[in-house]
Amino acid sequence: MKRCYISDEHLNGFVEALMGRGPVIAPVAKQSRFVFEKLETVDDLMLDYDTTILPPKVAFFPTKQELVTFDGKEAKSCINPTDQVLFGVHPYDIKGIAMSDKFYTDSHVDENYMANRRATTIVGSSVQKHYKHAFFGSVCMEVEVIGHDMFLTRVAGGYVADVLTDKGEALLGLGQFGDATDAQAGEADQVNQAAMENCPEKLENTSAQIRDKMRSSFRSDVWEELSEDCFSCGSCNTVCPTCYCFDVQDEWGLDGVSATRCRTWDSCLTAEFSEVSVQGGCENFREQRAERFRHRFMRKAAYLNEQLGGPACVGCGRCSGACTADIANPVVVINKIMEQ
Amino acid sequence: MAKVKCAWFDFASCEGCQIELTNYGEPFVELLQHIEIVEFREVMTEKTEAPIDVAFIEGSFTRESDRAKLERIRDRAAVVVAYGSCATCGGINALKNHTDDYKQEVYGADADKPHLDSTKALPISAAIKVDYEVKGCPMDKDEFLGIVQQLVHGTAKVYVPSYPVCVECKRRGTVCRFDEGDYCLGPIAQAGCGAPCPADGIPCEACRGMVQDANQKSMEKVLMENGKLPERWAKQKTRMFTANFREDA
Ligand code: SF4
Ligand code: SF4
Ligand code: SF4
Ligand code: SF4
Ligand code: SF4
Repeated sequence: MKRCYISDEHLNGFVEALMGRGPVIAPVAKQSRFVFEKLETVDDLMLDYDTTILPPKVAFFPTKQELVTFDGKEAKSCINPTDQVLFGVHPYDIKGIAMSDKFYTDSHVDENYMANRRATTIVGSSVQKHYKHAFFGSVCMEVEVIGHDMFLTRVAGGYVADVLTDKGEALLGLGQFGDATDAQAGEADQVNQAAMENCPEKLENTSAQIRDKMRSSFRSDVWEELSEDCFSCGSCNTVCPTCYCFDVQDEWGLDGVSATRCRTWDSCLTAEFSEVSVQGGCENFREQRAERFRHRFMRKAAYLNEQLGGPACVGCGRCSGACTADIANPVVVINKIMEQ
Repeated sequence: MAKVKCAWFDFASCEGCQIELTNYGEPFVELLQHIEIVEFREVMTEKTEAPIDVAFIEGSFTRESDRAKLERIRDRAAVVVAYGSCATCGGINALKNHTDDYKQEVYGADADKPHLDSTKALPISAAIKVDYEVKGCPMDKDEFLGIVQQLVHGTAKVYVPSYPVCVECKRRGTVCRFDEGDYCLGPIAQAGCGAPCPADGIPCEACRGMVQDANQKSMEKVLMENGKLPERWAKQKTRMFTANFREDA
């Protein structure tokens, strides 16, 4: 891995050069929060953000995505990738993207996702401020931070830029990069280590311990109790970097001939998610809110571990903050289950 | 293909949904290529007694004397579509349902005039069978056009979500009202509108009604604890558009 350095005064020039090549999607402020959005000016870039409302995968997998259009005669694919840079992604979100990549390629290569994903160069950045519910320092430790092309770590006077891929290497010419000194590289490692250690929230057990306990708690009454205030509103799913379910709907034109097939991010906490049509009507295989609430934790902490090599939770804390009923926090729920 | 004969009727409402329809512009004009308007007080004076293909009904059912009128419409129409919150859940009119002094409050000296007599504001479905409902105050454009499109062309059933507004709000990446120190009814409100209100920086007031199995107890708690509403207000909040969904309705 090549370790470079760019000073504060040259960072904006680098970002502007990236913007000159194509869209740069980066964290920008939105009232009291932050969102990944196309940069209009480099001044909007907020590398000291805590976390964003939605995870960065929005850059290549919008919450609503057109798949196919139909004009009555011919169906046309909507795949139409644009080369872009996704800039300032925190390490936990890089893990989340790597998980999505896996979900969308494992048994079937989803071109509607992958075409955009391949056209995206990812520049990560170190966590400068922690989101109040972040616990990425104590979850999913067995999964490496991979899949990005460059990583910027905030150090004195500038950023250490780790170059990880050819796509990352290709960016070096766009900025005033020099080699990082050993001291700078060492400082970067310390900064990233400290970010892990300073998370405001913390899981107390290993992934394997949690996985086993989760599975054995399946029939516990605790799920009923934990989900009593649940709205089935799916906010915990929608903000999650590792949730990947979607719903497909056809939208017809007024002419009754043309149509667009779209997919939208879906949520397993909503009641309709688990509705299936059966002969003569409709059945729901997770009818109770406690079953749906439990399902999310089973998915995150137990079911997907084998496929991913670790839990399907990267500790961003978004779900904890997004839940208006304040019951979705994985740290609270998992620690409670572990105490049982 | 023969045009589909459509008629519009209004009951207790502000007629805002009719106005909304005429505001659609381009899609409304396109719609006119497929339908024939045989009765629509807002835009024409003709009236008919002939059978109609689709009856669009606005407003709530709030006078027993309207039952016969509604039944006549039902008899004439192959399909009945209730549109707007007034017609689909009683809407803002149901705000009076738990009171008995509203006539005094609203009409003062005129309160005793007989034409102001009314009972509880209820959805049209409380009086007659309704085949389709288009929710919203005012009704949602895409939902309306989707359903009409389906009726005209016989295409696949229009999907309307059954989950709360939060789902659509989060998908838009809107900052949650609760994060801004405000309150919001999104967690129990029926989605389908695309959550425009929080995106504009105002709370969702659940104008489309509540979702099935809305967790009303939890909502009251959240309104008090996170939304910082006083208890009395938190308990009354859902009377504005969703009085008929309340446990005490
Ligand atoms: S479950 Fe919650 S904390 Fe874990 S990755 Fe998803 S949103 Fe983040
Ligand atoms: S746990 Fe919270 S965010 Fe998730 S569906 Fe329930 S109320 Fe909504
Ligand atoms: S639903 Fe709203 S806009 Fe439509 S008629 Fe009723 S009050 Fe007016
Ligand atoms: S603003 Fe309202 S609708 Fe949006 S997420 Fe928050 S509570 Fe839900
Ligand atoms: S956000 Fe709420 S109040 Fe606004 S249109 Fe939707 S349901 Fe109605």
